[in-house]
Amino acid sequence: MLTLVPWILTHPGTTIAELARRFEIDQGEVERDLELLPMCGLPPYTADRLIDVWIADDGAVSVRLAEYFERPVRLTAAEGIALVAAGRALLAVPGADRDGPLASALGKLEQVLGVRGGVAVEVGEEASPGDLQRLQAAVAAGEQLELDYYSFARDEMTTRIVDPTRVFHAFGEWYLAGYCHRAQSDRLFRVDRIRAARPTGELVTPSASAERDDDDLGGLVYRPAPGDLRARLRLAPGAAWVAENLPTESVTPRARDQVDVVIPVSAAGFLERLVLGLGPAVEVLGPPEAQKIVADAAARVLARYEAIS
Amino acid sequence: MTDRVERLLNLTATLLDTRRPLSLEEIAERLEPAYPEEKGARRRAFERDKETLRDLGVPIVVETADALGGEQGYRIPPEEYYLPDLGLTPEERAALHVAITAVRLGGGAAREGLRKLGGFEGASATPLAELETTPALPDLFDALTKRRVVSFEYRGEPRALEPYGVVHRFGHWYVVGRDRGRDAPRAFRVDRIEGALTFGEGGEFEPPPDVDPAEYLRADPLTYGDGQPVDARVLVDVGRAAWVVDDLGEDAVVERRDDGSVVVELSVINRDAFRTWVLDLLEHAEVVAPDELRDDIVSWLRGLVQASA
Repeated sequence: MLTLVPWILTHPGTTIAELARRFEIDQGEVERDLELLPMCGLPPYTADRLIDVWIADDGAVSVRLAEYFERPVRLTAAEGIALVAAGRALLAVPGADRDGPLASALGKLEQVLGVRGGVAVEVGEEASPGDLQRLQAAVAAGEQLELDYYSFARDEMTTRIVDPTRVFHAFGEWYLAGYCHRAQSDRLFRVDRIRAARPTGELVTPSASAERDDDDLGGLVYRPAPGDLRARLRLAPGAAWVAENLPTESVTPRARDQVDVVIPVSAAGFLERLVLGLGPAVEVLGPPEAQKIVADAAARVLARYEAIS
Repeated sequence: MTDRVERLLNLTATLLDTRRPLSLEEIAERLEPAYPEEKGARRRAFERDKETLRDLGVPIVVETADALGGEQGYRIPPEEYYLPDLGLTPEERAALHVAITAVRLGGGAAREGLRKLGGFEGASATPLAELETTPALPDLFDALTKRRVVSFEYRGEPRALEPYGVVHRFGHWYVVGRDRGRDAPRAFRVDRIEGALTFGEGGEFEPPPDVDPAEYLRADPLTYGDGQPVDARVLVDVGRAAWVVDDLGEDAVVERRDDGSVVVELSVINRDAFRTWVLDLLEHAEVVAPDELRDDIVSWLRGLVQASA
């Protein structure tokens, strides 16, 4: 309501249908709000102090005696950062129009918020613009691709035929989603791990399974299955961020600011890199299978250092 | 329910209209629909309303007024309430609409913000990117807009920061600015800030003009932190050489061997980040110099192997 009224005041004659469309609320709700409005105003709530609302037969709306609502309320910090960051992110996408209406809108917004230039969003540092645009074009044209892809979890190069469905950015990385013929299911491919993408000449139509819920990009990424290994880790304060940043299944505080977490493991490579990379701030409590994965990986890497060269 | 909406609107109008702070008693005398008669219930209902309005961004200030005999009074300063007119064109609003539908930043804050800016012009976009959010981000953004010094613990040390900007990089948010204790530019990863943030009064500093917060995050995470940089050399296998060179740039290469492997040189300040970076490559990379960094890695790996023996 605090956004509806200012718009009507500055755009008299706007219609209920237009308001519903513009503010993405249903017409019934707009009507209910407009019915409520004439009961509102200033004490002592006499006719000259209550807000006046007219709705013409054609749905045109006007409001009077509500000058104090002529401007909307300022943005909250959460709204401000969400708008600016979304705009900055889109401008950072390779190929964006950096002198277009988005750039000028952000300029005005940042000026009013007093954060001129204070928000920077970087996306796709790892993917070259050419690669991204080529993949996006393949998705748009429905071209089947043959990918040379480095599988991080298994640490190997693979070649696979993929029916691409979309390109998107999440968790700091660009991804290509599509149906993988080799795995015979939908898969995500990190764009920076695609070494080559060649059209096979086949055209594909998006499969039903590819039409996922667009609202949930994150849902395309790893979801633990009941049979996946669960590693129990003890984290010292220096590694405490793991508890907040990875999909833990439980977090238990311990003495001396340590925390114990249970983390589902998508593939051995994930656990190897996580634990080796964290250094002494982490301890693998169990199960033995997880400890073995880590010890084997450590032994493999150590072999490099201990070989006489 | 409608009574509550009506009361919230009337409360906003009344507090905006008043020139001097009104005590709760005065508010209750005037306002319709009326607050409960009983004092405790009245106070609770008012506090709930105040919270709801503050969440929407309505700045209700609490002042102790002489006219009220030292009692607390409430008002909404118009200059803090009204969103200045940004003068957005329909094209600019449409561009923001595209931005907030293409780039998701958790929650509905961007949508609420755009409603205040005049609603959803034009068409929405296919989701393209998802940025992580972290609970402290809006508070840090608020500190940035109000020029408040932020104090927190980071790696076990207290810090006082003049925030100049926030940066999203590699899937994480960083707050950057001048570290008052060290009198030097610093960057902190927001999700690794420990404990609660505390904020200064506001207006305590002025960021440098044309600040580029991304510059505060020097190009490479390995160089975050305090201390003297060390030049490290890492031998990378043929299988990973192309990625690492893409990542670090051709300038980092100091030697190309006949088997396709490369030796790269990096400037390291943050040893934890360096270890994470090297071990992420598992057995495909080896620190060749200096000995101290090589020994760090070897002793860590030995420890891991022994722990499971």
